[in-house]
Amino acid sequence: MTVAPQDLKPRALVSGASFNRGDRVFNRVITLAAFTALFVLAGITVFLGYQFIPVVQEQGLFFFTGSAWDPAAGRYGIWAMVYGSILLSVIALIVAVPASLLLSIFMVFLAPRRVSAVLTNLVDLMAAIPSIILGLWGFWVFQQVAADWSELLNRYFGWIPLFQNSSGNFTGTPFIAGLVLAVMMIPITTSVTREVMARTPPELINAAESLGCSLYSMLRHVALPFGRGGLIGGVMLGLGRALGETVAVFFVIKLVFDVNLFRILESEGGSVASMIVAKFGEANEQELQVLLAAGFVLFVGTLIVNLIANAIVGRTGRLSS
Amino acid sequence: MTAHAETILPPRPPAPQQSAGRPWARRGPGFRLAVLLGTILPPVPVIAALLYTDWPPVTIFVAIYLPLQLIAACAAAISQRGTRAAGDAVIIVLAIGATLLAVIVLGSILSTIAIRGYQAMSVAFLTQNTLYISPSTPLGYGGVGAAVLGTFIIVALATVITVPIGIATAVYVTEVRGRAVPYVRFFVQAMSGVPSVVAGLFILVVLILSGALAYSALAGALAYSILMLPTVARTAEEVLKLVPEELRTGALALGSTRARVVGQVVLPAARTGIVTATILGIARVVGETAPLLLTSLSNDRTIINPVGNPIASLPVFIFDKVSLPFPDAVARAWGAALVLMVIVAILFTAARLLSARRFAKS
Amino acid sequence: MSSTPPATPAATPASTPTAAGGSPAMQSRHLSVWFGKRKVLEDVNISFPANTCTALIGPSGCGKSTYIRTLNRLHELIPGAGLAGDVLHNGRDIYARDVDPVTVRLAIGMVFQKPNPFPSMTIRGNVLSGLKLSGMKRPNHDEIVEDTLRKAGLWNEVKDRLSHAAGELSGGQAQRLVIARALAVQPQVLLMDEPCSALDPASTLKIEETIRELAESITIIIVTHNMQQATRVSDYTAFFLAAENEPGIVVEQGATTEIFSNPQDPRTLDYVNGRFG
Repeated sequence: MTVAPQDLKPRALVSGASFNRGDRVFNRVITLAAFTALFVLAGITVFLGYQFIPVVQEQGLFFFTGSAWDPAAGRYGIWAMVYGSILLSVIALIVAVPASLLLSIFMVFLAPRRVSAVLTNLVDLMAAIPSIILGLWGFWVFQQVAADWSELLNRYFGWIPLFQNSSGNFTGTPFIAGLVLAVMMIPITTSVTREVMARTPPELINAAESLGCSLYSMLRHVALPFGRGGLIGGVMLGLGRALGETVAVFFVIKLVFDVNLFRILESEGGSVASMIVAKFGEANEQELQVLLAAGFVLFVGTLIVNLIANAIVGRTGRLSS
Repeated sequence: MTAHAETILPPRPPAPQQSAGRPWARRGPGFRLAVLLGTILPPVPVIAALLYTDWPPVTIFVAIYLPLQLIAACAAAISQRGTRAAGDAVIIVLAIGATLLAVIVLGSILSTIAIRGYQAMSVAFLTQNTLYISPSTPLGYGGVGAAVLGTFIIVALATVITVPIGIATAVYVTEVRGRAVPYVRFFVQAMSGVPSVVAGLFILVVLILSGALAYSALAGALAYSILMLPTVARTAEEVLKLVPEELRTGALALGSTRARVVGQVVLPAARTGIVTATILGIARVVGETAPLLLTSLSNDRTIINPVGNPIASLPVFIFDKVSLPFPDAVARAWGAALVLMVIVAILFTAARLLSARRFAKS
Repeated sequence: MSSTPPATPAATPASTPTAAGGSPAMQSRHLSVWFGKRKVLEDVNISFPANTCTALIGPSGCGKSTYIRTLNRLHELIPGAGLAGDVLHNGRDIYARDVDPVTVRLAIGMVFQKPNPFPSMTIRGNVLSGLKLSGMKRPNHDEIVEDTLRKAGLWNEVKDRLSHAAGELSGGQAQRLVIARALAVQPQVLLMDEPCSALDPASTLKIEETIRELAESITIIIVTHNMQQATRVSDYTAFFLAAENEPGIVVEQGATTEIFSNPQDPRTLDYVNGRFG
């Protein structure tokens, strides 16, 4: 009681919750529920990993580097599918990234406010379209158009190996599947890139304008460098979704267990996710295990892409989902 | 081919005028001439191509019109303001072109669903199941009734499972504010990247292959929950953050426990936002196909029991019928797509209206 | 601004302003407060006699609001909050290990600067919300509603729309509703943190009347920037001051009339005459 003030040490402040039994239970329940995401992620890792390990032991490195689906011989290699996923994503990126950037430039810097608001809603509506509907549209509507484009490309640029086609069949190609993926990616990516661009500080834009900057140099020297992190993150988020997309790809690609390196107009390709759905129906026990192992590979791949995306987006400030 | 493409592309005025008009501020006679030429010249070969080739309009737009418009805009820009303006002209033409293409794609998707889906519509289609229906059975018999019911059961179960957990996760981040907040948010973010097919595989291997659960609505709902949780948790977190801090301190100053602050002050204050979070969660999963292909399969009968047997659902209904070689089966797929899209559109609009109301209030 | 060391004579616990005698309703002894590493209050010793009104005055940033929040343990909700010394309520240390902060806040109510009625509840629901939130059992809810709203000077304005949403009240009405809400749990002490600073003069006058009436039956501690208000409503006054980058201290305390007419410390004189702050 008579301690001199300078001797006083800060007291431990007891958290309010520890006194009330209801609060203690509440805290525990909430904390437990909050870790559901961790439990699920850990569960996926453990249970799919548990199937993954024996497959790798059995198939060896061939599982990653080989390309085969041979239930009779018990040989399975998913490299063609993994590579296919990457190829489709690259095609989708090449189309979707410029398209998303241009769309957001139009919405943020060019369009009148009302048009921009309508477009924002349309883009969000596009993002809400289920992928099965994209697959249906891709198969019955878009495939015809894109096959025509492919034919034109092949006719005039067929001397470039990229646009070669040996079968005369222009459907079921990586080109078409990549474009369908791009249609899926564009709204996801645009909603992020639009927000990033809209956050360019107006004083920077004003400064650029007062210096007599053209729109082009304002974008190049102010808006794009300022939002670079967010733009890359948005693209990666779209990429994560594209890598994991299943049914939309399933309908517009001809699954072939042979690596199609770059001939995007050739009617053969694949992706890990669409392979899982394609093979699941008639899978025997061993095939099922291989599918689960492939799912593990897909899970790890998309997880890495998403973590990088979130790290980049997170570093440049939080964005609402 | 041409007839087909016409359904994609609605009749369009030959040239978007504004694309040529943007980059110039000062207007003289030379400017007018440049705009005139830039507006008139590109559509000429387009009209020619439309008349004399069998190329689809979208191809002509991308392969002929856009490049020509680019060149014309650049030429006009350079003639008026020098090379510096060319960059602007390119960006403006490309941005408008990309926007038009996106609108065309969206219009194509929505209009084909509406037109083709409408052909399948009938009371029978909306209410019946597909028992005794073969792929070649004519339209007018059999439909998506069972699939709609199945989707409803699966989504309802997923909502009941996910929403409490999602809100609890948000409450942990914004109210309990425990030490693990950064980790919890990290895991939720990581979870939002789980591909839908992996969610299906996970439920398949943990619950179905292990024998704990049959291929059923509940299995499908659990797979949906994995996809739904991050959306619900993140949106709920955003809306709980909008609840003013004074309400929390106010309640604590009245001698409230933490649990009562959350249950009787914070959550009621964020009611609309939580409904929005739920709707966004449902909209995120309602059309997901891959998880259901692995967990709830399909069924021609009308199923109510959520645990015993496979069950029909709209996305799987579409999946099963897309590539069948029977026009009536494909028509059913389009019909189901229309029903699904209407559901998505309703959810989308509801979420928009609710969040608009929330922002109007605050 | 002078920067004399804080050990002015006024800061010793002996010189409490308990003219009324008896044990004080609340008392802080050697209270120092931190936010993280930053010390914001040093060695604050004040006694608050029961059933009186004490005003805490001083320029902004001197730690008044922080101080009042330590009196019902709201301070500790801020991450990194630290504290040394004691706060006594009826002679009991409210920071003792075995004291539930919830019961402390129930006995020591608080009204904030910004009116914060619960928007999801009705007017009546807001008055009774303290009972609901704290789980306190009191019979005759209608009586409580009328009684507390009368005490807060709001009854006549809202008696016909008790079931309306609290959101439709004006700022001044909302603040009186919040006072009624705080009174419904029958606190022995009511803390008010600049309760009128967001209100118009008419509402301020009404709330000041309310405070005068309440001070006859409970102990009121009010933080205010408005020196006229302090002279109008309070029996005692404590003057807080913080030199630049130094923690806040109590420069002088005593009967309100003394502080305003005959301050002992030159800094108090300067402040009450409006020369700074």
